[in-house]
Amino acid sequence: MADDPLLTEMRALRDRVIGVTDTALASRDGLIIRADTADLDPDNMAALAAASLGLAQRMAAEVGKGVLRQAVTRSSGGHIAVYAVGAKALLVVVGDVGLDSVRLDREARAAVETIESLLTGSSRGEGVRSVG
Amino acid sequence: MDMTRSEPAVAGDDSSVPSGPGQLEPMLVSIARLGTSGLLRVTGDPGGVIYLTDGRIAAISTPGAPDPEAILLRSGRVPEAGWSSAFAAAASDGRMGAELVKRDLIGAGELEAVLRTALADALFALVAGSVEECRLEEAATPALLPLDPGAEAEWLLAEAERRLGVLAGLRAPVSHDRDRLTAVQGAWTPRVGPGDGRAEILALANGRRTARDMAFVLGRGVYAVTLQLSRMCDNGLLVIGSTRSPARAAGLRAVSAETAPPGPADANGSGGAPPLPRRRRGGSGQAGPRSAEKASVLRMLRTGVRREPSGG
Repeated sequence: MADDPLLTEMRALRDRVIGVTDTALASRDGLIIRADTADLDPDNMAALAAASLGLAQRMAAEVGKGVLRQAVTRSSGGHIAVYAVGAKALLVVVGDVGLDSVRLDREARAAVETIESLLTGSSRGEGVRSVG
Repeated sequence: MDMTRSEPAVAGDDSSVPSGPGQLEPMLVSIARLGTSGLLRVTGDPGGVIYLTDGRIAAISTPGAPDPEAILLRSGRVPEAGWSSAFAAAASDGRMGAELVKRDLIGAGELEAVLRTALADALFALVAGSVEECRLEEAATPALLPLDPGAEAEWLLAEAERRLGVLAGLRAPVSHDRDRLTAVQGAWTPRVGPGDGRAEILALANGRRTARDMAFVLGRGVYAVTLQLSRMCDNGLLVIGSTRSPARAAGLRAVSAETAPPGPADANGSGGAPPLPRRRRGGSGQAGPRSAEKASVLRMLRTGVRREPSGG
């Protein structure tokens, strides 16, 4: 799937942002669409990311702090950021402790827009639910 | 391009401190001369922030190299639980280093060595990368683990140059933040006895990681890992699988190799030409018959762009 435009965009995000180690694209109900991962289980990532994004969105709404931009988990070994891709998908970005989070914030949003347009285009034609 | 500076928090008049592309080294030298305190924000690839105390470099935070926290924790020198306890007790009032020593999590001498080594590694990463802008600011939050007293900027800059020279002189140079390494199957047989780190490197060399990435996993310095990767490439244990290409997203300012600013000594107009390696005062110790070849390798180390094969 070397020419898959979704994977190409996800790999480009890993190229552009120092510290990004893995990315995964999933549906909002937690099913994997594409994965650019090495040692991680993309199916588990997708399911957990869907849950965490839903929880973060509800939290943001509950406290009245506007529209959720990203759901971030920061641990001693790295970062996990989850972005909504339109209303039906999400993007998970995993990074090490040195992740350039400022650049990620800017680059990921551009990537999300591109991925959303690709998904919209794909959904008009063939299905997109296959692991890369 | 924005070349302004915010209101500086400085000990003296810093009106002569330069700012802008390619100005990291002279700016640090000027800051050292003026005894400036504050925070130098470096925009670029990898970019970062440099904490300055009385003109000396106390700490550096950059995505390009592991900071002391990453080195201490990822290498296992300080256990996670001990770090968390010390952090809760002392981080808010800037006593993290003293607290680690007080709790016998690390010796004072070893901590100082780690801090100094991490500084040298971080500045190497900054100098080896591209600098788009340098901005002097007030340090609103002090560094978690500053070196006190800080390291001399000129010494760190000279060390960064030396390291670049060493890497450029290796037989199989590897770009520390561009080249992704892949293990050659069957090329290495583990031996019984103390390890030299090669097994860990080979396990990480899955074609997705650069030397910088491995350094963060292992809690080691980027320079040291790059040296080892280069030697392992030379020994046929590793090959460069792919090269990271930090191309631009639309609407963001360029920091890629193609737009890296020319250095102070070769500002002969970029005009779309590839960036030339920067020459610096006191950096001529590497000059010689192979200087042109080494300059080409230096450019590769900084940009990830390998030179075209020569005609001969």
